[in-house]
Amino acid sequence: MLRFILHRILWMIPTLLFISILSFIIIEAPPGDFMTTYVSRLREQGEDMGQVTIDGLRARYGLDQPIYVKYFKWIRGVVQGDFGQSLEWQRPVADLLRARLPWSILISLSSLLFVYLIAIPIGVYSATHLYSKLDYFFNLVGFIGLAIPNFLFALIMLWFIFQRTGNAAIGLFSREFLMAPWSFARVIDLFKHLWLPALVIGTAGTAGMIRIMRANLLDELSKAYVMVARAKGLSERKVLYKYPFRIALNPVVSTIGWTLPALFSGEVLVSIVLGIPTIAPIFLGSLMGQDMFLAGSIVFIMATLTVIGTLISDILLGWLDPRIRESI
Amino acid sequence: MENDKSLLKVEDLKTYFYSKEGTVKAVDGVNFSINRGETLGIAGESGCGKSVTAQSILRLTPKNGRIENGRILLRTDEKTVDLVSLKASGDEIRKIRGKKISIIFQEPMTSFSMVHTIGSQIIEVIRLHQGCTRKEARDRTLELLNMVGLSAEQAIDAYPFSLSGGMRQRAMIAMSLSCMPSLLIADEPTTAVDVTIQAQVLKLLRRIQKEKQMALIMITHDLAVLSELCDKVMIMYLGKDVEHAPTKELFSNPKHPYTKGLLNSVPKLHQGPRQKIEAIKGTVPSPYALPTGCSFHPRCPDFIPGLCDKEIPKLFDVDENHKVSCFLYQ
Ligand SMILES: Nc1ncnc2c1ncn2[C@@H]1O[C@H](COP(=O)(O)OP(=O)(O)OP(=O)(O)O)[C@@H](O)[C@H]1O
Ligand SMILES: [Mg+2]
Repeated sequence: MLRFILHRILWMIPTLLFISILSFIIIEAPPGDFMTTYVSRLREQGEDMGQVTIDGLRARYGLDQPIYVKYFKWIRGVVQGDFGQSLEWQRPVADLLRARLPWSILISLSSLLFVYLIAIPIGVYSATHLYSKLDYFFNLVGFIGLAIPNFLFALIMLWFIFQRTGNAAIGLFSREFLMAPWSFARVIDLFKHLWLPALVIGTAGTAGMIRIMRANLLDELSKAYVMVARAKGLSERKVLYKYPFRIALNPVVSTIGWTLPALFSGEVLVSIVLGIPTIAPIFLGSLMGQDMFLAGSIVFIMATLTVIGTLISDILLGWLDPRIRESI
Repeated sequence: MENDKSLLKVEDLKTYFYSKEGTVKAVDGVNFSINRGETLGIAGESGCGKSVTAQSILRLTPKNGRIENGRILLRTDEKTVDLVSLKASGDEIRKIRGKKISIIFQEPMTSFSMVHTIGSQIIEVIRLHQGCTRKEARDRTLELLNMVGLSAEQAIDAYPFSLSGGMRQRAMIAMSLSCMPSLLIADEPTTAVDVTIQAQVLKLLRRIQKEKQMALIMITHDLAVLSELCDKVMIMYLGKDVEHAPTKELFSNPKHPYTKGLLNSVPKLHQGPRQKIEAIKGTVPSPYALPTGCSFHPRCPDFIPGLCDKEIPKLFDVDENHKVSCFLYQ
């Protein structure tokens, strides 16, 4: 098992390197650079900037250098923990990330937890009570969940909560806790706000996960070893959970890796609608403003998290299934 | 009837499956009994209800199947229980499964869970029914694996996917024998393994059965297996038992036209090459639309018009131990 994990970790290094190059190229691909967007924005406001100033700034930011030079400067910093300077915010990228990344991770993980807590039991119920009324009901709800766009769902929920309580469920803290130092009460307040984005972002994933779980379990339940387990005299509960349930979990576990980035992209509009200080809104801004170090760093961080997510799901899979463990 | 010495007695068992397409009468009135230490062979074409009969005994039929009629009487310690009257997943039947009656299924490749070791899957049965410590159960498992001819120390911690089909089927036999059941049902235990392994597995089954004085129900397509292993045979056709006889008698003196056809449809060794193999004419009717009267009459060479297509024959006695459900022997 140790060898299996080491093997996977070693593989992460070239993967990440490749991803960093790719993401840098993609971000650099559109014509123009930060200064072009910046200047055109100034012009819209009626101001102008002399070509000399522009060229001076361009040189200062290093925007006039060839792409590979920019890449090497940037990646050398990244290895040392320095992600460069955000041109738009005029602050180190690392500062921006530090302030916002934890919220992004918190919300992604809460959504993931929400997805699993809801989807796995419902999937199991649907598979063991095939074509029952509740099975149909969950199917219907699942389709609706898949079909409603996240931001719309967020707006509906906001309106609904406002109607019921008179409060706008915006942000992650109530006003009195916004700037307060960490305390038990603040954590409680955080959880009171966290459920809504987790619910909104997790709903679509839940619907998909229910279908995966239901289909997998159905598949396993029809295998001969289930009847063998029953023929041993095991209780129905054991027959279900010890054998088919465990194997049906495999595909669910293996989706952890790509569920995380999917949730992240689900976050973008929801964070804007619900006013949550995650990375998603500044990511959008950085792409539109061609703030290349910020955008590149965010893509790189998300890719790293995805690779780590995949590593975690691989380790879990290896632990669940000896066939995978021994194939390495 | 009630006070005879049979271990298991099945009377007029009917198990039907329900689906959108209609009802499949998979087992439609089957009768047999088996004594301690005896071997009963069940044979018949694919789809005639052999497996469903076996599953019905242990109440393992899938959810869409139901036992509609009949009794399955199991004699245990001077008490007789009707398995049909038990709840399908209740405590009583669970205490019989794996302990009093074990079953080996057709598919050795998928009969074990791939994510648990062979040992843990056998130990589980022993601990469930015998309430012993993990250590005792493990020792017993090693003994069992040795008995079926596996290198026990290796096999016990192996995962099923690392064993060959033949080894798995041996491990399956070890598991089914772990609580010394008084009846073992083997549902075509050798169809999925190659010929040399077949012979080994059958020899193993016969040896253990003799040693433990265990009753054995052997379900098979293979007439050679029947003649070698079984004391008596039941032939099934479309969910019904059509002939019962001691093995020797059945082979030398088959009565039912279907049995005759079945015996003629396999080549005989002593007749050498170029012998005539006669297939039974026609095909098995769809299970959704069974013929009226005797369900074999459309394929029967001795069909009596006006009788066979109108009435269902009951079992007639040819002999003390030889019964056949055919109007020719009325
Ligand atoms: N779960 C099920 N649902 C519906 N029909 C079923 C089910 N299981 C079995 N049957 C039907 O019951 C009939 C008897 O099947 P069974 O498996 O007992 O045949 P068999 O004699 O064991 O055949 P084989 O020699 O191929 O194993 C078949 O027509 C089959 O299609
Ligand atoms: Mg069968």
